[in-house]
Amino acid sequence: MKRIMTILIIVLAICGLLGGINYRLNAQTNAEGSKVLNIYNWGDYIDPALITKFEHQTGYHVVYETFDSNEAMLTKIKQGGTSYDLTVPSDYTVQRMRRAKLLEKIDKSKLPALKNIDSRFMNLSFDPNNDYSVPYFWGTLGIVYNDQYVNANQVQHWRQLWNPRFKNKIMLTDSARDMLGVALITQGKSVNTTNAADLQAANEQLIKLMPNTKAVVADEIKMYMEQNEAAIAVTYSGEASEMMANNSHLHYVVPSEGSNIWFDNLVIPKTAKHKAAAYAFLNFMLQPKNAAQNAEYIGYSTPNKAAMKYLPKKVADDPQFYPSEKTVAHLQVYRDLPLKVIGKYNDLFLQFKMTK
Amino acid sequence: MKKWRISNLYLALVFIVLYLPIFYLIFYSFNVGDTMDHFSGFSWRHYATLLSDSRMISIVLNTLIIALLSSLIATIVGTMGALGIYSAKKATVKNGLLSLNNVLMVSPDVIIGASFLIFFTFLGFSLGFGSVLLSHIAFSIPIVVLMVLPKINELPKTMVDAAYDLGASSWQTLTKVILPAITPGIFAGYFMAFTYSLDDFAVTFFVTGNGFSTLSVEIYSRARQGVDLEVNALSTLMFIVSLLLVVGYYLLGRYNQNRRLQRVKAAEAKINQ
Repeated sequence: MKRIMTILIIVLAICGLLGGINYRLNAQTNAEGSKVLNIYNWGDYIDPALITKFEHQTGYHVVYETFDSNEAMLTKIKQGGTSYDLTVPSDYTVQRMRRAKLLEKIDKSKLPALKNIDSRFMNLSFDPNNDYSVPYFWGTLGIVYNDQYVNANQVQHWRQLWNPRFKNKIMLTDSARDMLGVALITQGKSVNTTNAADLQAANEQLIKLMPNTKAVVADEIKMYMEQNEAAIAVTYSGEASEMMANNSHLHYVVPSEGSNIWFDNLVIPKTAKHKAAAYAFLNFMLQPKNAAQNAEYIGYSTPNKAAMKYLPKKVADDPQFYPSEKTVAHLQVYRDLPLKVIGKYNDLFLQFKMTK
Repeated sequence: MKKWRISNLYLALVFIVLYLPIFYLIFYSFNVGDTMDHFSGFSWRHYATLLSDSRMISIVLNTLIIALLSSLIATIVGTMGALGIYSAKKATVKNGLLSLNNVLMVSPDVIIGASFLIFFTFLGFSLGFGSVLLSHIAFSIPIVVLMVLPKINELPKTMVDAAYDLGASSWQTLTKVILPAITPGIFAGYFMAFTYSLDDFAVTFFVTGNGFSTLSVEIYSRARQGVDLEVNALSTLMFIVSLLLVVGYYLLGRYNQNRRLQRVKAAEAKINQ
């Protein structure tokens, strides 16, 4: 009994000590008070220096929490019990959240800095008129190639992937919508088609790509490409920029005939309690200098037009991550499709994967 | 002789398989570069980032507080539960209670987590420290019961009867006879609950909120950008701390044993005189 009591007291003492340190730690970084902002963001998806700067500038204390997938975030917000003031869904999730009436309408008169956003990235199909969302980062789906094995002019377009000389050389992303989307684009169809015949034709086209396919994988693409194990991969621009930082032989191409363009967006959930703070933060992040600093830290493309002049010239003029006007005009955003159609995409993609 | 060698080889192999990934991770925490692809030089860089990341440190402290407190409360509740199950008179009641306990033990964490989320939000309970603590206590209790119950069953029934015969009240019997006898089981239950709480992801993920987070949730949510070497540095520190704890526990045990041996010897010497 004495031993049990000793341990009990020791454990409680340690808890008190840790709690004390924790309290001190939090007290150091912020002044306690009602000026709080709760942000729910992807892990490591903002330059921490910007949060500190925002706290110093405005006196708000930022409580920062992270998630790992759109679906996880959506579940947490839908279920309630939380009060996030800002969160960062991708395009199709914005549409889904809007439809589920989870989002607060944005009052644009409180958001003067919204004019910094490139008009090409406003008023998109997932949120007409940007009533509910402010673009945060964007990127594309494209082709990464290794210049030791492939000439640049051999991989400028999607249909060139079907070239027999690339036998067993291409790595594909394991995602039904992305890969069927590629086939749909080569056939000149929309990536959001719900037409069964179009999808069937696209799948037949995709199956013809199988002889050239080395593997259909997810995150491993990065490692294989960096280690020169495959010549070509179909992947996202964000992944591509990380690969290219580690292997100078790699290059990224967004085919000019079109591709998928994705957006991560800042939104205010209905459950938000500190709306004034949320607007202050939105305006802060829309400032060109801050947007540029964040883009440099994350390495994705910023939709902030005014920020471009603060980016290093090498980045801002890079057609790999800021493609030409003409290419951007051909890029398509995924729309949230009915469940039945998504099932169809998945079934067809599974069929494709089983042909190997 | 030959058999002995093979068994040693096997043991070494098993330990290598178990420890190699950890040492690989520790090795790269000293890398100058940002990836685990190749080692480009030694540096403390990632440790410096870690120590200046007050959010990360705060999360580590939260995780430890939750683990220590939840396992403590779970041990208290679980020990009482085990005593209750032991003292149930009817065999059917006893088996029923034990089965209910085991069902919680084997049901998937994801289901437990999701049901807690629904439960807490239904009650209007705000997610955060409280919800995480309560759910950790809840999933740790069955583990404690399972660790303590065998010890109680080992306890000779005659000892308890003797205590009552000698006029001990039921409180005295509990604190002076039963609890000291089952202490090893209680400690084992506490440590099991502690480790379960420390590395739980599935349940915690559902019930965190409003700025409160634990280590496993935080590391997992960084995966989209690729986990950086700061996490390696943190894992290294945690590994060293747990190593020190194990060594400390071992030394403490040996010290206690020695003291007990000396006491026995002293007593024997007295008798011999």
